[in-house]
Amino acid sequence: MTGSASSRAALILGLRDAVPIMLAYFPLSVTYGVLATARGIPVWATDLTSIVIFAGAAQFMLVSLYVAGTSPVSMTVTLLLVNLRHVLYGTTIGPAFTSWREKHKWIAAFGLTDEVFALTGSQALREPPAPAYEFALAFGSYLSWVAGTVVGATVGGAVPPAAASALTFALPALFLSLLLNQARRVPQIVAAVAGAGVAVAAQAAGLPSFGIVAGAVAGASTGLALATITAPGRRPAGHVRMARD
Amino acid sequence: MDPRIWHQFVPVTVAVGVGTYLIRALSLVWGSRLAWPAWLKQWLSFVTPAVLGALLGPALLLPDGRWILPWQNAALLAAVPTAAVAWYSRNLLLTVLAGVVFCAVAGYLI
Repeated sequence: MTGSASSRAALILGLRDAVPIMLAYFPLSVTYGVLATARGIPVWATDLTSIVIFAGAAQFMLVSLYVAGTSPVSMTVTLLLVNLRHVLYGTTIGPAFTSWREKHKWIAAFGLTDEVFALTGSQALREPPAPAYEFALAFGSYLSWVAGTVVGATVGGAVPPAAASALTFALPALFLSLLLNQARRVPQIVAAVAGAGVAVAAQAAGLPSFGIVAGAVAGASTGLALATITAPGRRPAGHVRMARD
Repeated sequence: MDPRIWHQFVPVTVAVGVGTYLIRALSLVWGSRLAWPAWLKQWLSFVTPAVLGALLGPALLLPDGRWILPWQNAALLAAVPTAAVAWYSRNLLLTVLAGVVFCAVAGYLI
């Protein structure tokens, strides 16, 4: 990947792939802005969360924890636990970025959200992306997220409660789409269902932040176990084939 | 303005922002340096569906953190046709738009 022509092509490709995420983020962050200001967070502080954190689920959770009167230390620990799932994202995509310059990795990491990961994740290991592609994806999404928050926080009170309530479904709908875009085989579906089961059990037991990490580990292990057992022409350990799509 | 905004909300926002960035950056830098065995890569390929499942499960079954009867749960009812749209269209934006409409309809019917 040398020369400006190829990196320009990568940039355009990245922006094209960023469009669905940007279009999905915008109403979602508008919703976040509306919800946060409706619960008494000042407009500037609502905008600040999107600029600084850039992690949807954690931001929605921050507002509800703050409103519930949770202590600052407990809020910070809980939200960082929720975002601990990003360790799995970095380590999953990381091998594809071995040839990247160190500086580029530090820049791209800022935009490694659930959606950016889900879009990059599966194909990155087969075909490592160019830095320009990944930057376009990450910062296009970031721009949309911040812009939507500003709009939502500013128009805040003008949105009818019924509409705001339906808009909150944008987040689960986005997760469903990301999941079913790539989980088309039985072991992957089983991994998702196992992850969901563990997370629901953890939340029911009063440990919601632990549930996402535990669900990820348990679900992935279940999926891998199933794939290994049912794989045709299984070979002894050490000769395992590379992960397929 | 509530003084807790300055004393709690803003410091927590900054701490979570910096912490989240470090989690993302360090794992990416670290992940790109080590040689990963094939089984680990395959395990990691199952992390995405598992995480998405773990995010979805509580959001659909325990909205607002508590159990709601399935036929009174707009999010769960909306999830069924939304999943069908996701599966057949493979289109992120279409699925999100359809999902919001389904959720509004479900909320109206309940």
